[in-house]
Amino acid sequence: MILPAVCLVLTIAIYGFVKRFYKKYPKIYFTPLVVTPAILVLLLVWTNIPYNTYDAGAHWVTDMIGPATIVLAVPIYKNLPILKKHAFVIVSSVLFGSTIAIVTTAWIAKALNLDARLIESLAPRSATTPIAMAVSKITGGIPTITAVIVLLTGVLGIVLGPLVIRFFGIRNDVARGVLFGTGAHAAGTSKAFEFGSAAGSISSIAMILTAFFTFMTVSLVIGFFI
Amino acid sequence: MSTWLKSAAQVVFLIAFSWLMNLIMEICHLNIPGSIVGIVVLFVLLQTKVVKLEWIDLGAKWLLAEMLLFFIPSAVGIVQYKDLMLASGLRILVVVVVSILVVMAATGLMAENLAKAKETNAS
Repeated sequence: MILPAVCLVLTIAIYGFVKRFYKKYPKIYFTPLVVTPAILVLLLVWTNIPYNTYDAGAHWVTDMIGPATIVLAVPIYKNLPILKKHAFVIVSSVLFGSTIAIVTTAWIAKALNLDARLIESLAPRSATTPIAMAVSKITGGIPTITAVIVLLTGVLGIVLGPLVIRFFGIRNDVARGVLFGTGAHAAGTSKAFEFGSAAGSISSIAMILTAFFTFMTVSLVIGFFI
Repeated sequence: MSTWLKSAAQVVFLIAFSWLMNLIMEICHLNIPGSIVGIVVLFVLLQTKVVKLEWIDLGAKWLLAEMLLFFIPSAVGIVQYKDLMLASGLRILVVVVVSILVVMAATGLMAENLAKAKETNAS
């Protein structure tokens, strides 16, 4: 009982500390979503605490993903005029991007000889966690592995997104928003808000559309590769 | 009421709302996550003024600002797959990195060019 509670407190405390540190030294490799889990993994391995014990406390934090996802309705509501104005660009780019996400993931995974269950677990990785896990279950993947890979996508998306934006000189808020929301779901969306409220809400919409398109198309696309 | 208390009360309300959405999805045997349906429902409630923005604005701001925290325990979940990561981790990393780069570049460039084309058409 005590150990899970300690794990819960430690998760929040280390995150708080890392976040403050990141604010002072905003370097990519200090991203809280990279550094905090790394510290916690080392702690668990070092103290021999099994993940189940850790999660018995920490799942209270995970449970907040639900309400945190739902309140994405608020920035969408506030930025409705911008979203309406760019509806066509957003929908067509996200449809294009989320299809590319599934196809390239399955194709590269297949080319690297990863086994079928892993390809099925990887394919919906661009969708937000609850959707990706549901899709993974339907197509025959392993939902818990999908959850970890979705997270990996989020972490890497936060790191790679700004590099892509800089490399291609992407200046448009709509483009920045769809890039983060389609490429890195909710984690990317939180990064998109650093580029402004408009980019953030466009990213929220892109994330929802990506989840929706992924839900509709993954089983179709996977059929071609397995 | 202080801002802090207001935020906390609003967060509690939003947690209850989220819990209710999951419950409804479960009762109806729908395979759609409650949080996704919840976005749509909350948006409609805001749009129809059934829920006023100031009832949830502070709580929403806090939840969105701390979003990354909520993903951390799932990220720590990687410790359960040590063998898998040792055997296939590098290949998984290659898949995810390459795919993200292609997706982000394609999506971003397409939107940038479509938006530009629209502007030139308009002017």
